[in-house]
Amino acid sequence: LGTHSHTQKISLPSFLRTDRSFPSLPFRSPHTAMSSVAVEPLLRYHRRTEVSGLRKVANPCCSSSSLNCSRQKLFHRGKCKLRVRRRSTAPFVIRASSSSSSSSTALAETFESSGDVFFRHSFPVTQTETVEGKIFVRVDQENGKGNWHLTVGCSLPGKWILHWGVSYVNDIGSEWDQPPKHMRPSGSMPVKNYAIETPLKKPSGDDPFYEVKIDIDPKSAIAAINFVLKDEETGAWYQHKGRDFKVPLVDYLLEDGTVFGSNSFVIWPGPFFSNILLKPETDSTLEPDDVKREDRKVEGIYEEQPITKHIAIENSVTVSVRKCPETSKNLLYLETDLPEVVVHWGVCRDDAKNWETPPGPHPPETVIFKEKALRTLLQPKEDGRGCSGLFTLEEGLAGFLFVLKLNDNTWLKCKGNDFYVPLSNSSILHSESGQEHFKDAAASVKALDQNQGSDTAFTNEIIKEIRNLVSGISSDNSRKVKTKEAQESILQEIEKLAAEAYSIFRSSIPTFKEEVVLEEELEQAPPKKSSGTGSGYEIVLQGFNWESHKSGRWYMELKEKAEDIASLGFTVVWLPPPTESVSPEGYMPKDLYNLNSRYGNIYELKELVGKLHELGIKVLGDAVLNHRCAQYQNQNGIWNIFGGRLNWDDRAVVADDPHFQGRGNKSSGDNFHAAPNIDHSQDFVRKDIKGWMRWLREEIGYDGWRLDFVRGFWGGYVKDYMDATSPYFAVGEYWDSLSYTYGEMDHNQDAHRQRIIDWINATSGSAGAFDVTTKGVLHAALERCEYWRLADEKGKPPGVVGWWPSRAVTFVENHDTGSTQGHWRFPGGKEMQGYAYILTHPGTPAVFFDHVYSNYRSEIAALLAFRNRHKLHCRSIVQISKAARDVYAAIIDEKVAVKIGPGHFEPPNGPRKWSPALEGRDYKIWESS
Amino acid sequence: MELSVIGTSQGTFCGGGELVRELRFCVPKRNGDAINFFDRNSRRRCRNSRLQLTLTASGQSEPVRSDSFPVHEPAKRPNSIDRVRLFVGLPLDVVSDCHSVNHARAITAGLKALNLLGVEGVELPVWWGLVEKEGMGEYEWSGYLAVAEMVQNAGLKLHVSLCFHGDRQHKVSLPRWVSKIGGSNPSIFYTDRSGKAYEDCLSLAVDDLPVLHGKTPLQVYKGFCESFRSSFAHFLGSTITGVTIGLGPDGELRYPSHHQHSNNSIPGVGEFQCYDENMMNHLKQHAASLGNPLWGLAGPHDAPTYNQSPDSNPFFNEHSGSWKTPYGEFFLSWYSSQLLSHGDHLLSMASDVFTNTGVATHGRVPLMHSWFKTRSRALENTAGFYSTDGKDAYEAFAQMFARNSSGMIVPGMDLSDDQQPEQTMSSPEMLLKQIRAACKRHGVGVSGMNSRLGSNGLDRIRKNVTGDENNVVDLFTYQRMGAEFFSPEHFSSFTQFTRGLNQHFAELHSDDLLAEETVPVVAEESVPVEASSSPSAEMQTA
Repeated sequence: LGTHSHTQKISLPSFLRTDRSFPSLPFRSPHTAMSSVAVEPLLRYHRRTEVSGLRKVANPCCSSSSLNCSRQKLFHRGKCKLRVRRRSTAPFVIRASSSSSSSSTALAETFESSGDVFFRHSFPVTQTETVEGKIFVRVDQENGKGNWHLTVGCSLPGKWILHWGVSYVNDIGSEWDQPPKHMRPSGSMPVKNYAIETPLKKPSGDDPFYEVKIDIDPKSAIAAINFVLKDEETGAWYQHKGRDFKVPLVDYLLEDGTVFGSNSFVIWPGPFFSNILLKPETDSTLEPDDVKREDRKVEGIYEEQPITKHIAIENSVTVSVRKCPETSKNLLYLETDLPEVVVHWGVCRDDAKNWETPPGPHPPETVIFKEKALRTLLQPKEDGRGCSGLFTLEEGLAGFLFVLKLNDNTWLKCKGNDFYVPLSNSSILHSESGQEHFKDAAASVKALDQNQGSDTAFTNEIIKEIRNLVSGISSDNSRKVKTKEAQESILQEIEKLAAEAYSIFRSSIPTFKEEVVLEEELEQAPPKKSSGTGSGYEIVLQGFNWESHKSGRWYMELKEKAEDIASLGFTVVWLPPPTESVSPEGYMPKDLYNLNSRYGNIYELKELVGKLHELGIKVLGDAVLNHRCAQYQNQNGIWNIFGGRLNWDDRAVVADDPHFQGRGNKSSGDNFHAAPNIDHSQDFVRKDIKGWMRWLREEIGYDGWRLDFVRGFWGGYVKDYMDATSPYFAVGEYWDSLSYTYGEMDHNQDAHRQRIIDWINATSGSAGAFDVTTKGVLHAALERCEYWRLADEKGKPPGVVGWWPSRAVTFVENHDTGSTQGHWRFPGGKEMQGYAYILTHPGTPAVFFDHVYSNYRSEIAALLAFRNRHKLHCRSIVQISKAARDVYAAIIDEKVAVKIGPGHFEPPNGPRKWSPALEGRDYKIWESS
Repeated sequence: MELSVIGTSQGTFCGGGELVRELRFCVPKRNGDAINFFDRNSRRRCRNSRLQLTLTASGQSEPVRSDSFPVHEPAKRPNSIDRVRLFVGLPLDVVSDCHSVNHARAITAGLKALNLLGVEGVELPVWWGLVEKEGMGEYEWSGYLAVAEMVQNAGLKLHVSLCFHGDRQHKVSLPRWVSKIGGSNPSIFYTDRSGKAYEDCLSLAVDDLPVLHGKTPLQVYKGFCESFRSSFAHFLGSTITGVTIGLGPDGELRYPSHHQHSNNSIPGVGEFQCYDENMMNHLKQHAASLGNPLWGLAGPHDAPTYNQSPDSNPFFNEHSGSWKTPYGEFFLSWYSSQLLSHGDHLLSMASDVFTNTGVATHGRVPLMHSWFKTRSRALENTAGFYSTDGKDAYEAFAQMFARNSSGMIVPGMDLSDDQQPEQTMSSPEMLLKQIRAACKRHGVGVSGMNSRLGSNGLDRIRKNVTGDENNVVDLFTYQRMGAEFFSPEHFSSFTQFTRGLNQHFAELHSDDLLAEETVPVVAEESVPVEASSSPSAEMQTA
């Protein structure tokens, strides 16, 4: 056994390191003598769940004892040559430790049996790997006679899209054309008027390739097929050396007048194919492409080229600590599903987390590292699934600090910090709260609170080591991505706090005692992760219009479109109001708990939400909180007594609307006169509404809210509701009129946006608001060709987005302003200018359903893809370059330039080179290269 | 250069002053290294040799508990390091008349926000008129102690400004009992030529006179400082890192020469404030000692009034003014020397009181930038800085600050020349440069302050605090927290400002850095080149 596994151990690394860029990737085991290290864990380790084809391919390789033999075979047969390169810092998925078995069974048993585990936590660890695979291009003919096909395939998992077009024989230049209808495989989607997007599919479940097959008509005048491959998952484009793939087809028939035949196509061995062969092992051309298709007669051509993709791998580390009753020492048990891990560890005596090395005895395979830390090689577990170690720690230590080191000099940390396991008395006494505490520290304010003053010495070493590593660069990258998330959440927190301070300073006359109480509350409130403003990268789709109720099965219709919506790049969908309603559109709710509406019933709604969640889309529920229609009349015959589960009486109705004779307090906002307005100042009303909204969150799975007519009640109540339901994203409709003088819209709309800002402030920033101001200014600018309006007096965007971009939800149209109601329709034909603006600018853009499913679709799709690709977000920085009569131009985040309006603008080519990316009627967008 | 290290919002993990201080050194000079603005941990990881050296030198050899760490650190390293610590002023009325904390909840939220932003600390104005309101020697610190507690809990530092002046605009006056003495003896106040007294601070001429119930103002100031020191002993050197001593009107070392602000945007030259009885006595003696007793009878008879321009009267006339006559030189140098010795007295008193407490003492000078570009520089002269063509008042003042190991706070770092009306011959930038040069010569640390709150000045501030080596500022106090400060419009630019200061703004765009390695065909960030020149053209002709 020893020899056998030894061989395999060597072979795997060399399999992995066929990578050119890291020729010396040191995947060498320092402990080759340990024959007990089995192969299985290594395989596990390198398998990603997404790579379903990988295992199949990899297994034959491993079962043969000689890698050198199997390698050739593997590449030819499977064609799924897959390379794995770890990018660096890894994440861990934590498993429950109870299920684990340890290599040192005795120790583990002692550990498990003695109970009293006061700390147990699983640390998630994610690691980015670069996997390599292939793209192949094949032109062949079925059965020697039939139709010719172009097949494009890709061996890596992903949502692959072929973005393609054709060139005709007589074309001059290199413009693409849309291929004729009959060439388009099913599922193709036109993009603009010159390209088609067709998704790649697996011909069968266990086929290693995703592919798409295009029929080629021998008689057509198509000279070439051009394409690029796009991964919808990552938004990445795969090209050939920065250019399009091109498969030239020359029809000799047309030129020579000879007869039809299988020779009528020639694939030009043009520059594309001669250059593609970057690696020696890809030399094989005209190779039977797949085992399953060996029976097919293959002629034509077959080419392939390598591609890479970054994939996240999840692993885990679980730590459990218990007190040894005999020695009153702490026993810490650490296990992971990673193979061959060195734990670089130390202990600390106080919260400052200064690393110390504890006195012995230390676990086996421990060395002292420069007197600052200990390094322990974890022992492989007996079941071969990862490894583990048991650490005995003396009394009086505050915590156990560690990082993990993989044998290729990759360091794994906990969200950028050291892993920290508290050992203090408090956590022993309150194991529950100890864990809570720990979680908070690790998760919520992560980058901040954790590890404040810890281990300077240790970090110092790490720095030195990382500096010397080739992989250091990539480790920086992934860390940045992580801290970026942290930054986003911190920024949100800052904004919230500032909003709170602002609203108090602005309005309150302080009374000291009361504030002391409030302050204490504030201190105790745990930091909230969810601020109702999402990640900052949201793009909202309003998933209905004013007619959507008509079919009676809107939920189902929308569900059919879910995939499409996801593929377009939307991350949030706003659904219509779900409750029973007097009006079919849902905005006159009656029994709030009755979710059978004209859009469908509650089951269909859940099905829809589930489907959207599957696709990674968040769902907003449209909550109508301002008013509610009554079921019964009072003694005067006025409809103000409610029914259903929330059977309020007329105390729930505001007192200042004479139509409804409410007995509540006066309204805290404007009244909506068509239905009884709810009095949110009543405790019982608020309690019921909170209960209802929580129920919707749990039962239906809504992730957040679109709040109808929030002008009708005080924003402070909204804060209350938001705090109770912790939405991922929330947006309120605060719609009132802009300022006009003699029928002409004022340039300065500060008062208008201030009212919206005031409302957001009243909610303490817990919800955003639709940027009505921006829509209004866009109306005036586009309609009258007055693009100067798009910069305010301070040179910023004139809407809410100019003042508080992270809370502004920009939009062009909605079910009220447009659709069949048309209360305030966007200037006709100019919608795309509006979208070019909101989809490149900060703020969270919301796109109206009607526009997505219209002629604008492809243009909107391109803009969405563009926004996602450039990672523009709600806090992107906009720099207005020009705001003149007939043109407005701005540069966003220094990497995107946009102009709208008929006038001329070119972004200045300075240190940055701009190349045009998208263009449409009266708008143009550039990206910096 | 950096702002600060972020403390914890809960205080649980707080490593205390020691570590925080160490970490400040670890920000590399170079741009582009991966330093995370919010994450002190990753900051330590940046690949820069400076970082490592400092850390190993002091990081762990001697773990010292924060609250017992008596280091005079701010004074120790005035302008050697390329970084600035950013403070934000608390509202002037943060403590109310009845010693409670105003807007406590807003301030708590604000402190948290500042902490998350990476601001180092806050500045707290402590009013003489509030603390020693009831009677001489009866101090009431409770309100300010509560604030210090809040600041400490928020993990921020505190810079205290002891204000020995009043502020009409914010309804703060001198202690009642002082005002009462002034009622019967107006000569304790500065007085102008027309006999009008300025009641918001005591005249420097009484510094050494026992006018306050038998004690001199200097003794009273000293008593105040000592009481502060003992009441805040447990904050000193840890939470409280610096103290600014009020030196005159508005806390600044100057005469109240231009206190009558007209709404007219063009400031006049101000008036000399030497007409109270004691000042006149000084002048008389001084003139007599120089053998020119007639010069001691009055101040300059031909000086302009408050809102007049220099040329409106002969004294400051550009070409023929009395300012360059022997009399003019006599008067101006005496007037300025009085101010200088006043500053000297107070700062040396302060450095006595705060020695070995771990806090650095500071004094503030004014930035009298109007009329800078004239030869007579009238506004500076009426304020007490004998600056004319060929005379550099700041030399002597910098020397005096150096003698007392005080840092110099210079306001107006938000002002730029091009915003000043042309007629005022103003140049805040050049004056600032002059002051800084003098401080540099004498090794005085310069701290900055803005004179107005607003997004417009932020760029200028950034230039002033992050410039070349001559531009070193070790501390910048941004004035001041309040509704406007937190308004969405202002706060967002302030956020950007702080992030920009830390050079970490690039972090948000780190995506651009991905895929920098060469991999076969990945072109993640490019779009298809559908409409550009591509191989097809070549091939068709081939």
